[in-house]
Amino acid sequence: MWDYSDKVKDHFLHPRNARVIEDANGVGDVGSIICGDALRLMLKIDPETEVIEDAAFQTYGCGSAIASSSALTEMVKGKTIKEAQKITNAQIAEYLDGLPPEKMHCSVMGREALDAAIANYHGKSYEQSHDDGELVCHCFGVGINKIKKAIWENHLTTVEEVTNYTKAGGGCGSCKMRIEEIIDEVWEDLEKCGVPRPGTVPTPIPSIRVNSVAPVNSTAAVMDDKTKSSPLYAKLMEVVRTVNAGFTDGSKLELDAIEQDEVRIALQGPAAAGMMKDMTVNFVTAKFTEACGQQLKVTVL
Amino acid sequence: MDETLNKGIYLDNNATTQIDPLVVEAMLPYLTTYYGNASSQHGFGLPVGKALEKAREQVADFIGAEHPDEIIFTSCATESDNTALWSALWSQKNKNEIVTTPVEHPAIMQTCDFLSSHGAVINYLKVNDKGDLDEQNFESLLNEHTALASVMWANNETGNIYPVPRLAEIAASHGVMFHTDAVQAVSKIPVDVKQTCINMLSFSGHKIHAPKGIGVLYVRRGTRYIPFMKGGHQERGRRAGTENIPYIVGLGVACELAKQHLDTVATKVRALRDKLQAGILASIPECFVTGDQSHRTDNTLNVAFKYVEGEAILLMLNEYGIAASSGSACSSESLEPSHVMRAMGVPFSAAHGTIRFSLSRFTTEAEIDETLRVLPGIIETLRALSPYWNQNKPKLKHIDHEFDAESTERRA
Repeated sequence: MWDYSDKVKDHFLHPRNARVIEDANGVGDVGSIICGDALRLMLKIDPETEVIEDAAFQTYGCGSAIASSSALTEMVKGKTIKEAQKITNAQIAEYLDGLPPEKMHCSVMGREALDAAIANYHGKSYEQSHDDGELVCHCFGVGINKIKKAIWENHLTTVEEVTNYTKAGGGCGSCKMRIEEIIDEVWEDLEKCGVPRPGTVPTPIPSIRVNSVAPVNSTAAVMDDKTKSSPLYAKLMEVVRTVNAGFTDGSKLELDAIEQDEVRIALQGPAAAGMMKDMTVNFVTAKFTEACGQQLKVTVL
Repeated sequence: MDETLNKGIYLDNNATTQIDPLVVEAMLPYLTTYYGNASSQHGFGLPVGKALEKAREQVADFIGAEHPDEIIFTSCATESDNTALWSALWSQKNKNEIVTTPVEHPAIMQTCDFLSSHGAVINYLKVNDKGDLDEQNFESLLNEHTALASVMWANNETGNIYPVPRLAEIAASHGVMFHTDAVQAVSKIPVDVKQTCINMLSFSGHKIHAPKGIGVLYVRRGTRYIPFMKGGHQERGRRAGTENIPYIVGLGVACELAKQHLDTVATKVRALRDKLQAGILASIPECFVTGDQSHRTDNTLNVAFKYVEGEAILLMLNEYGIAASSGSACSSESLEPSHVMRAMGVPFSAAHGTIRFSLSRFTTEAEIDETLRVLPGIIETLRALSPYWNQNKPKLKHIDHEFDAESTERRA
């Protein structure tokens, strides 16, 4: 049996607002009996003020699915649509004093039902207002956008966590590799926003990452004075800036040292891996040569 | 320990059972006075060695083994199952195929998955919607490369009893080794291996009122065998590791008691199970019994309640101190409903809402009555919450979409 908080048990055994609102003008249906949980969220919204005057639910699912639905109705009542839209799945879980990790998908389902109900109020279907994107998990019908959102909002780092939040990967498991890729993609963006990724260092096999307690091992270049005083320094730095601005995949180019016609650079990210590395070096060499008007030899740190 | 914990109603005996007080009593001296090693030839070891051989005879007698030395003590039925599969593949040249069913316990299923990823070929029998197997289908899968046919004697979820003696005979006529996982069969139906062609049989103590951590692998004399656990010479070199004497002694006594109580199961336990089944079907609409009611273990009842989810039912039963189990996804670590229900083709609208009640000789009529008193209310409460249950509920004015339990559509 799952170890639920007292609040989850209370909302499960005494669900709030478990009824049908006949004249609901915002109805959100999510889930399916195949997946083992489904939720209909019914909202009565005042068209003048856009305040949610009443909220109710009908849920098929486990204890935490019912408790999450009950909590959601309590949370949205009295809020305007705009305020309600700011509710995250984490807040639903918090309201219930937490959910077991394997049950976080129940709070995600609540959040989705809210989106769907508001879309319905605006006269759109959930599908119209939400692009699921590429279908990643065929067993549970989970699209890439839902997975990305769960990773982004909850800073998920492992496939297991993604499964707990979205169910993706919980069936045959054949999408686990793809989920791993998506986690990496989202984290590249998260890192750009200044969220440090909890200690992982890349290993030679790209699909395998080794957890490490130590901070990410950076090969950041440290330039000596000789390099900085080189006549080529300013021109090369300008090229470095332009190239870095051109990277869209999180790659990074740094100048490490200049010794006469030899330039040493440091590369990070996808541009530093495999065939991309050779292409990047060729490209950078050409740009350097063009900027300085002389043939330069480029090596990578 | 919390004294109130065990005051509840325990209807989950296919998961594990309470230890019979007589078993505990028999075990205690071997946790205190007789701590010697059964292999030692001195005064500390000798009485322990004798206790070990007595237990072996009790177990042999219980399952009808011709010779006590056909009994190997293991740590659990899972180890016994692993050993049987492993031994059959390793001890026979040019045989790399296993025939089994899609309704086996994970001890067989997962091991077969592993072996299959290492070159073994696993052939699965078909089961019908009642979970029954077909003899001809079984025979058609046997060939000269079949190392082992492994079919459970009784299913843990539905209680279905499979025609294991007949299947073993068919296997023998094709020269194929036969193993059965009899965890759910022994103590519920009479088992007499010497009257059959079964080569290997697994079962565990904790399903028959002995403690956890003790299992048995029966290996008929003349069966090719190599040990799974390697090390010392214990169990005549067939299972290394110092014998777990207190538990083996406990298992011996549990086997003796189980044999005495076979009639109790067939009469008293069966009557209670039938009362529970009749009561549920009479008082709760839209539910049905899964499995084959014409040959089913007498202690097991598996009911599918449509339009509600199993874990929610279990949580509410737990509020009344009633323990049962579910094939629902949410009640386990997995996200998918039970492989047994899916193999039987039970629709999703019901598979997520299956509840297994499994009784024992300790179950009382008052406990069954209490279960019947609270269960209809629980199902009604959950259906009142369920969008798939629309009886007596007002309809929405502004929306025409209804949740359809038979639909395979997924929303959002």
